Amino acid sequence: MSDGKLVGTVVDEVAFDVERGKIWEFARATFTTDPVHTDADAARAAGFDDLLATPTHVVAVGHWRDQRAFVDRLGLALERVVVGSVRWQYLRPLRAGDSLRAVRRVVGDERRAGKRGGSMRVVTLETEYVDATGTPVVRQRDVLIERGKSA
Amino acid sequence: MSQPIRARRPVRAAVGDTHPAREIGPLTQTDIVRFAGAGGDFNPLHHDPEFVRSSGFPGVISMGQLQAGILAGWLSDWLGVEHLREFEVRFVAPVFLGDVLRLSGEIVGIVAIDGPGPGPADGPDAESAVAPAAESVAEIALSVRRGDDTVVRASAKAVVASS
Repeated sequence: MSDGKLVGTVVDEVAFDVERGKIWEFARATFTTDPVHTDADAARAAGFDDLLATPTHVVAVGHWRDQRAFVDRLGLALERVVVGSVRWQYLRPLRAGDSLRAVRRVVGDERRAGKRGGSMRVVTLETEYVDATGTPVVRQRDVLIERGKSA
Repeated sequence: MSQPIRARRPVRAAVGDTHPAREIGPLTQTDIVRFAGAGGDFNPLHHDPEFVRSSGFPGVISMGQLQAGILAGWLSDWLGVEHLREFEVRFVAPVFLGDVLRLSGEIVGIVAIDGPGPGPADGPDAESAVAPAAESVAEIALSVRRGDDTVVRASAKAVVASS
């Protein structure tokens, strides 16, 4: 796979709803204690008409994605891929009842020299989550690192 | 989206402020499976010891998104999820079953917001009975440590009240 060729490619597109039960489940699984995630009265007292999602809730989109297919599509060797970093930008908080659409694109694909010689491939993905009105609500950037084959 | 009626005010904060550290663990297989169910990551590296052995890891490792979610939740418990503007994590080292994780963070910068900021969509609410405190964006440096090792480094931006 040569460098940069995939930039601009849409990796996948997924639609999903932000659900109360999933918010509750995600809050518990991440040891998050703010009651705005689990108690509708607390959410209302904070000024919202339903439960607020935790900050990394969009990760639950994993349920609707085929991770193997996307790794194959990018020509990556799964056993050598690690996630280097992830960044979320929040344009507004998500709450139960939001219907989201997520479009994930390749925004960077390059080779870099590895720390111990050889080279690694660095693929940067950007996902834009828009709500039912088409307004962007969250942007996520993932940096994937494929280590070179060991000699 | 309907406008907040009585929104929580941003937390008052200054450079150097911290929040009580949270300790999680020792991390169990149940913790990892619960997160797999919540987030939908069913890579066998995180729950299948046979598969883990065949792939050369010394033991089951947690998904980075678990550490990211735990740290992000600790941050939003502190500053309010609706006030977060950005959260970025760097995965420095893998996390294994039995690890005890310590979450901490500190406000390292405060930057004034230009203009009215992310208040009501139709401009500043001049009728508001209580004048809101000046809102700024705090920069927060965060980490997840296991003993003396850092396993996650993170940074974030959140709206705070600065005066």
